Amino acid sequence: MDKPLKPGISAIQQNRQLCRICDTDCSITGNATYCPHCGSPISPRIKNSQQKTWALLFTAIVFIFPANLYPITYLLKNNTLYPDTIFSGILSLLDSDMPAIAFIVFIASILVPILKILALTFISFAVHFQWQLNPKKQLIAFSIVEWIGRWSILDLFVISIMVAVFDKGNLLSVYPGIAATSFTVVVVTTLFAAESFDTRLIWDANIDAK
Amino acid sequence: MVSKRPNLQSGYVAKCARCQRTIYTAKVVRPDKMFALAISALMVCIPAFSFPLISVHLLGITEGTNLIHGAIMMIDIAPLVSFMVLFCAVLSPTLLTLCMAFSSFCMMYNKRPAMLNYVLKLTSALLHWSMLEVYLISLMVAIVKLMSYADLYYGSGMLFFIALLIINMTMISEYNNVKYWEYLRNG
Repeated sequence: MDKPLKPGISAIQQNRQLCRICDTDCSITGNATYCPHCGSPISPRIKNSQQKTWALLFTAIVFIFPANLYPITYLLKNNTLYPDTIFSGILSLLDSDMPAIAFIVFIASILVPILKILALTFISFAVHFQWQLNPKKQLIAFSIVEWIGRWSILDLFVISIMVAVFDKGNLLSVYPGIAATSFTVVVVTTLFAAESFDTRLIWDANIDAK
Repeated sequence: MVSKRPNLQSGYVAKCARCQRTIYTAKVVRPDKMFALAISALMVCIPAFSFPLISVHLLGITEGTNLIHGAIMMIDIAPLVSFMVLFCAVLSPTLLTLCMAFSSFCMMYNKRPAMLNYVLKLTSALLHWSMLEVYLISLMVAIVKLMSYADLYYGSGMLFFIALLIINMTMISEYNNVKYWEYLRNG
């Protein structure tokens, strides 16, 4: 029988690990690869969590440039192509007196992806170099990133609706541009980056944190 | 960090002293309720995805637009975008509902098939990817954008879509993965 665990101390020091899939704990030495309850791969911390997060973050950083610089949609009107980047789309919304919608699109498509990358990079740096920052504040930042991340998909959904509505061939059509694919890559990689980041590493890096 | 699981009265939750995340809830799972919700969601999702959400009067033609139509049209130009839209708005909510229906059904009739393990794993993976509420906000953004170009009419799919969204949100907030794993383990 296992020794009773002491609350208030990290489980890794007591030879205990938690399965992230089925939420049960087991000893680290006895179950090196698989969870005995549900059979999923198990490790005390997410394996190579920092490396995975960095790789996905770099991909996102690379793709955020084409996503913002290239046209995200093309409007084909009377045989003429009008390209639209994310930013010019927001400007035209402002011109046509829709500041609220412009604000939503600005937050979801420009602010959120950039802030997400910045926040995740900062937390990853703090963990890597063991900056002794307040772990609770770092976790709050991470939770915001995690929660708000899904809302970046908004722009992709809007594009899909626009494409479906404007489908009158050469008279009036909307097509997605290169930036749409790049933007999808940014959204997906940042979502996965947040998922592969193990929040317990924040406390591991802070030696004297409570 | 290791925490002691307290004895909780029904309706209370235990949170981690470090990060305030919920570690244990004393909520009672009602598989019959979940099953009923899942079945109604499955019935509603067919018209919600295939009936027109909005109809647009453009260049003398009035045409309805449904959810799947828009994603399919992009498949040649931007397959990745098209896949993501289909996955987040159609595939994951439907699969998630199917998974929940299956696991609740098993719990109702006290069955523990070998498949249940995989279904529960799939459920926890899909929970983050069901983005119906994001789609509704996108639809509203699109409607406001379109109003300056054309006349808009709400289609019959809209009602079904909102119904699906409400049922889906209720299911996700009611669902507790831990309880289902507990049930499978105690067999």
